[in-house]
Amino acid sequence: MSTQCRFLNKQINEKTWFFTNEVFNEILFKSMDFIVIKRQGRDVEVKIKTPLLIGIGVIIIVLILVVTLLPNLTQKPTPQRILVYAYNDKITGIDPSIEDDTGLVVLGSIYETLTYYDYKTGEVKPRLAVNWSSNEDGTEWIFHLRQGVVFHDGTPFNATAVKLSIERARDIYRETGRGMGYIWDAVEEIEVIDEYTIKFKLSYPQRLDLLASASYSAYIFSPSVLEKAGVDNYMDRALEEWFNNGNAIGSGPYKLVSYDPQKEVKLEKFKEWWGWSIIKNDNAPDVVIIKVVVDPSAQYNGLLSGEVDIACSVPRETIKSLLDRGYKVINLSTYHNFVLFFNTKRYPTNITEFRLAIAHAIDLNRVVLEALLGIGRVASGVVPHGFPGHIEGLTYEYNLDKAREILAKSGVSTPIKIELLYQVDYEETRAFATIFKTIMAELGIEVELNPQDWARLKDIAKGVWENPEETPHLIIADWWPTIPSPFDFLYTMFHSESKEWNFAGFENPEFDELIEEAWLTEGVDYRKAIELYKEAQLILYNEVVAIGLWDEIRPYVYSTRVYIPEDALNPLYTFVIRFELVEVRS
Amino acid sequence: MPISLNYVLKRTFLSILIVIGVIVFTYTLLIITPGDPAVKWAGNPRGPKAHEAVELARRELGLDQPIYIQIARFIYNVFTGNLGLSIAYKIPVTQVVYSGFTSTLELLLFTYILAVPVGVLLGLYSALRRGSSIDGFIQSFSVVLASTPTFWLATIIVLVIYSTTGFLPYGRVSSKLEITTGFQSITGFYLLDSLLQGNIPVFLDVLTRLIPPALAISVYPLGVITRVTRTLIAEALLEDYVKAGVAWGVNRTTILKHFVFRSIIPPIIQTSGLAFVYSMVDAMVVESLVFGRPGLGSILLDALHKADFRVALALVIYLTIFYIIVNTLVDIIQAIIDPRVKL
Repeated sequence: MSTQCRFLNKQINEKTWFFTNEVFNEILFKSMDFIVIKRQGRDVEVKIKTPLLIGIGVIIIVLILVVTLLPNLTQKPTPQRILVYAYNDKITGIDPSIEDDTGLVVLGSIYETLTYYDYKTGEVKPRLAVNWSSNEDGTEWIFHLRQGVVFHDGTPFNATAVKLSIERARDIYRETGRGMGYIWDAVEEIEVIDEYTIKFKLSYPQRLDLLASASYSAYIFSPSVLEKAGVDNYMDRALEEWFNNGNAIGSGPYKLVSYDPQKEVKLEKFKEWWGWSIIKNDNAPDVVIIKVVVDPSAQYNGLLSGEVDIACSVPRETIKSLLDRGYKVINLSTYHNFVLFFNTKRYPTNITEFRLAIAHAIDLNRVVLEALLGIGRVASGVVPHGFPGHIEGLTYEYNLDKAREILAKSGVSTPIKIELLYQVDYEETRAFATIFKTIMAELGIEVELNPQDWARLKDIAKGVWENPEETPHLIIADWWPTIPSPFDFLYTMFHSESKEWNFAGFENPEFDELIEEAWLTEGVDYRKAIELYKEAQLILYNEVVAIGLWDEIRPYVYSTRVYIPEDALNPLYTFVIRFELVEVRS
Repeated sequence: MPISLNYVLKRTFLSILIVIGVIVFTYTLLIITPGDPAVKWAGNPRGPKAHEAVELARRELGLDQPIYIQIARFIYNVFTGNLGLSIAYKIPVTQVVYSGFTSTLELLLFTYILAVPVGVLLGLYSALRRGSSIDGFIQSFSVVLASTPTFWLATIIVLVIYSTTGFLPYGRVSSKLEITTGFQSITGFYLLDSLLQGNIPVFLDVLTRLIPPALAISVYPLGVITRVTRTLIAEALLEDYVKAGVAWGVNRTTILKHFVFRSIIPPIIQTSGLAFVYSMVDAMVVESLVFGRPGLGSILLDALHKADFRVALALVIYLTIFYIIVNTLVDIIQAIIDPRVKL
């Protein structure tokens, strides 16, 4: 019976008049052409037409061919040792003279400085300079440069390159205030004596060898960048744009291949690097990928899936399980510290006793245990452990009774309300804030929490200078240094002229003088300078301007595919891994 | 062509007005949101001259000027095609946005290429079986699909992947695989690039990373299109021209293909277009926050965090233009398919 007839035999129903169940399949599938389903009574006959069969067959054959053949065909002669390093932030720029933020993680591998700071001994080691000397008052320095060094484009390294690099960092700072070029501020004149000797004349004494090891603004780049970027003058903005567009000509062990500041940076082994013959590491990675993985749990994931070899910020609570699975960890004591500033221009935190009472009420050991899961170190003062000028014992004893006593003496009547400003994207400051709130409640101090992202926090915090009454009483900020000198911490965070970063609104001529004098003394008598810095820290301690909370310990977790010697990490060069020392099993 | 010059002119004029309106609104919003772009532009200066550097940056960015001048200048820059450098990354804004745009667009296109046909087939099946239990099931199921919160579903999918594999792949493609197979991205659409290069391992890797977020995003278009198709076909079957066709003894397949189906294509395209634009928001939330894929979502979030108002603005402008383009395209396709529509 044909469908037509069957339809006519049916009664027309408004709802389903068009298709009855019997004819439905036939029509629907007919419209698909390739499959024919016929119903005859109870039997269903399914026919697949030949074109479809042929089609499926061809697809299957092609797929089999592709899967088996293509991996062999596409395999080009590729490097064997690949290292993926998961970094926890996006890259803010890679101009070697100006960049002063996360770009360090890239700069540290593709450029080199004249000297290298050995954090274990506090000594300055040769890098691009082999040896150096200064006159007695520290105002004239002569550096002898390493011979036979070439930049990534083949340009030979010489004194001219050094002069250009340092002058650029200094002049950009002098003219615009940008970058970390202030470390070269004393440099008046740079004289190229011969190809491999360079002389610096300073306007005031400095430890130039120490400054030359700085983690920012001290990188030496090839003079050929001017030509490549098409500029005549190193001050030209176009050169900065050229750098930040993913160009670099340094002399480091790795050269830049590709640069995407939001995703990943690809580095390749630079075979002509002068140091290979010295470190003799045959297993150094051929290709390094610095992958931006902001989310800590994604870093953890990456390690487990094998996509990441080294992770610098897995969630703290996962470290134990990673160790159980055979991953290795290096706990690096960093120079990155967290500081609690008191707004010294607003009642009641302008009263020293009140600040002291708070200081005695904070149980930092508990904070480190609970907020940092024990991975961190209770700070002693605002200069971190292991850093030049650090003083042991600058902590305030945890003693609630004493705190109550001092609070009573301070003349501040409780209950009172104060405000705490902190950065919301740090897990540990968030945890600290909650602990702090409960502790303060015991003293009758109510703490209002004010979490903000970094940009906003800085905006509010520096308001302490203009309208202190509207700036929170307590501010938590973190810091890491550019140069291995306490000046970096003490000047920036507490000198009365440093209005961008002195969140305490602290003004003390005696302190300012000590810091300035110490800075000038460094080049002449380093020991005495350190003593002066220590003296300045005692002022901060006695006046309770700020409390050093904790110095960060950063666990670098890595898979068994790689081996990282301890020397590959250095707290001065935050997040930089000396990939040339890392061994990768192919 | 059924498109008149009058229409083109009107449409262009309106689009420009919309873009300007969006710029004025967003710029004002961004200026009053917290965070100082000048500090970021100066690079968080820490030296003794930090304050000067920030003030210089403020002048360079023109942030010291009254807001209407800033906006006017910005609009001028947009129409001369100069969006400037990103404040946080110091690379051209277009470059920052483009890399996220291709990632999100690839995900969306992939989702829709799968979801729309499946939705149409489900709707068709349901409509032809009107009143049956399967129809009831598909109907209620599509309602559930269309109203499922995407971020919730995405989290569930992540949990399932976690519990089965123990980890979740991050990003769009494995970096190691990229290097070992020599994969190079040309268009920014990785599926396309890997196929063109015959790079099957990368293709499969990209595909496996694309499927979970695509699954999460697909529920909305799937639900909506199923429902719309069902209603449209059910209605079309009651039309007089179908009855006439049957009465004339026209083959039922022909009726279905040429009468019914053709009539429902324009509204389906329109619905898909609207849903596509809606899903863009879903994708932005899900891809970066749940699946860790770099896309427009993470770029926007990051731009707001880093006070990078140029990138945020550029992104909003691009999205506006993208919406306008999608809507215009939908209209034009309508006009081409449906002879009744004249533009």
